[in-house]
Amino acid sequence: MTDRFHHPDDREARSAARVRALEALLIEKGVITSKTVDTVLNVFETKMGPFNGARIVARAWVDPAFKQRLVADAPAAIAEMTDLPEGMAGAEGEHMRAVANGEGVHNLVICTLCSCYPWPVLGLPPYWYKDPTFRSRAAREPRAVLKEFGLTVPESTEVKVWDSSAQIRWFVIPERPAGTEGMSEDQLAALVTPEAMMGVAVAASA
Amino acid sequence: MKLQHYLGGLEGLGPITIETRVFVEEWEKRIFGIHTAMMALSPQLPLPPTPSAFHTVWTWAHLRTGAEGLNPFDYFKYRYYEKWLGGISGYFIENGYITEEELEARTAEYLADPDKPLPQGGAPEIDQRVERYLAEGDSPKRDVAALPDFREGDTVTVRNVPTLEHTRLPGFLRNHSGVVETVYPGAYGYLTDTGTDGVGAPMPVYCVRFEAKDLWPGNTEPNVTLYADLYAAYVTKPTA
Repeated sequence: MTDRFHHPDDREARSAARVRALEALLIEKGVITSKTVDTVLNVFETKMGPFNGARIVARAWVDPAFKQRLVADAPAAIAEMTDLPEGMAGAEGEHMRAVANGEGVHNLVICTLCSCYPWPVLGLPPYWYKDPTFRSRAAREPRAVLKEFGLTVPESTEVKVWDSSAQIRWFVIPERPAGTEGMSEDQLAALVTPEAMMGVAVAASA
Repeated sequence: MKLQHYLGGLEGLGPITIETRVFVEEWEKRIFGIHTAMMALSPQLPLPPTPSAFHTVWTWAHLRTGAEGLNPFDYFKYRYYEKWLGGISGYFIENGYITEEELEARTAEYLADPDKPLPQGGAPEIDQRVERYLAEGDSPKRDVAALPDFREGDTVTVRNVPTLEHTRLPGFLRNHSGVVETVYPGAYGYLTDTGTDGVGAPMPVYCVRFEAKDLWPGNTEPNVTLYADLYAAYVTKPTA
């Protein structure tokens, strides 16, 4: 077992050199351009990211009718927000659904087979979401996992675990924290983390 | 079937790792970008042709099949983007775009001089198509009649289908029964045909609700419900 899990000391340097070699060859052979990889990365810095999800959640907090529409038909409700970047129904967001936390219900999104994640509204998945240990344990003992994230969910609260195994990409509308009355949507959006929108945390308090 | 199809509910794994970063090494960003460009340039998509030399199909299914096809111990040995780097560089070699020798030689060059610049150039249409793919996506919904066998509230049993290298059925659900929570409107294809596993052609998809206490009797927490989105090929009428 120990041998099988041995990695060379220059593990990262080797991977870095290999991926750069691959990128260089693909540019030379005309598969991609010298700007392609940066073009992709730029989309995830400016257009697709958790900054969108945070604004959608903040809107749901201040507008209960919008929240209802978001739960009933997430793509249609998100399309109402015309000030979001283009592509909110784009790659990995073609069929999104939102589930709302509330009195007696806590939602947790997982992907036991891989790392399905709603790109347009949340960007790319953090490492904890992709970790096989999280993916295994969250299915059978979600409260124990949430406790390791610092979140205690009482037994009286139903934990709903959503395993993203087909076309739907799920996200969670966390509860609005107490003491945030009178805050603007921008201020509220700053309280919403990717972790809260996957259900391993709650929104930050004001 | 592989262990990696059966992750849900494994025991004795110890604490989780709460790493909130998306990339833990700068190089990981580059392989992510290459993978996404390959999906965008894959020729089956209804997007404008470009001068790119990429002429073979690459989808999520290809990436997932590579990871699911690994020896399970290797699956756990390698970090997320290490598996991507292995699978994607192997694909370009197998499909004749590059050779193992030139990749090794070039890797040695960049190992010796990590700051050596990348070659420059390429047709702008390639990057335009990549941006367009990200904005438009690739919906699996198909415009064919869907005839669901089950309605919301029906009990269904998960089939124990013969999976080979790739599946969208979480293994821990096999042979268990749940209740249809949602019949999604329409029919959904999958990126590849998984053969005897059963998905690929357009079919209904159900969201099915399972009680954790039924999945892991005496070995779970109270008041936990698990929902999974299951292609119609994966569910059947209960026998009892």
